[in-house]
Amino acid sequence: MTLTADRLIESLSEVAREGATRAGRAITGLMGQRILIHVPNVRLGTKVDACDAVGGEEAIVLGAYLTISGDITGHVMLLFPIERALECVDLMCGQPPRTTRDIDEITESAIGELTNIVGSAFVNALADRAGLTLHPSPPTICHDMAIALVESIYAEVLSQDGDVVMIDTVFEDQKGRTAGLLIVAPDPPTLHRIAELVP
Amino acid sequence: MPVGIGRLAVSRDPAEVLVAYGLGSCVGITIFDPEGRLSGMAHVLLPASDGRAPGPREPARFADSAVDALLKHFIEAGSVKRRLIVKIAGGGSVLGSANAQKFKIGERNAEAIRERLRHHGISLVNSELGGVKGRTLEMYVASGKTFVRTATSPATEL
Repeated sequence: MTLTADRLIESLSEVAREGATRAGRAITGLMGQRILIHVPNVRLGTKVDACDAVGGEEAIVLGAYLTISGDITGHVMLLFPIERALECVDLMCGQPPRTTRDIDEITESAIGELTNIVGSAFVNALADRAGLTLHPSPPTICHDMAIALVESIYAEVLSQDGDVVMIDTVFEDQKGRTAGLLIVAPDPPTLHRIAELVP
Repeated sequence: MPVGIGRLAVSRDPAEVLVAYGLGSCVGITIFDPEGRLSGMAHVLLPASDGRAPGPREPARFADSAVDALLKHFIEAGSVKRRLIVKIAGGGSVLGSANAQKFKIGERNAEAIRERLRHHGISLVNSELGGVKGRTLEMYVASGKTFVRTATSPATEL
């Protein structure tokens, strides 16, 4: 069976939608705020594409990173341009926009927890759909230039220049919405297991 | 002039600034020939080519072939090896110190570059390596001076 990019994207889009639904429920439960998560766009992209999606290679971004272990190994990273990260914290906490203005421990902790929920929800949706056993790690906060973070995943994971899966992730409550980028980079030796997603 | 991942650039244009943005585990190498007034920068991603040829678009992808390729420009321009001023920066663990134990690409990149420079009989003049923050490396072709800055600190001379 040949796993074409289109079929991979189609299957991962379904996984992403399932993950988004689960993550939305989890965050709503955790924060006591009704929060919906949408994933309007799932695509393959290069490291430059991933950086462009969050403001450019030198853009300072805030997010978190976790690894996947088990039947598939790889990396998941949720990144926000700084302004979007601050908006997201306000949204999660039910605060008026522009309440959160600085990146402090509370902001980092909120983004870390968000990544934990969103990343784990995606990984668990992937595991359920493909019948795999997967374990997401606890998140590590990342606050740095976009290209420094993205290229570190490339260096660790990819021996060949390759694409990562980029999932635009929109967070919405009754008052407004903001968005971040979820990057999923499976280790190449385990990529074939994702073919099991495809019916 | 940006020097992207796996790329290298050499210049004599005094108006030019060579820049490697956001070096995480990547390492940037700068070489300056004060006599020939030639400046060069390479942006290394991985430590070892293991015999793999780097693609034509990324001649500096691997540490060993990056050093060789960058040096070749200087040798062909008539530079004398022992007068070259070589500096390197980057090789950090931006995915967190916890992950640094598992992934040592930054450290390995730096070591591979040092090893290749030793092979060529070239000493490193200065370096800024390791840590958990990404670095942007800038080289002013007019003077050969290099500077390092991070997301949270201003440029300091290397």
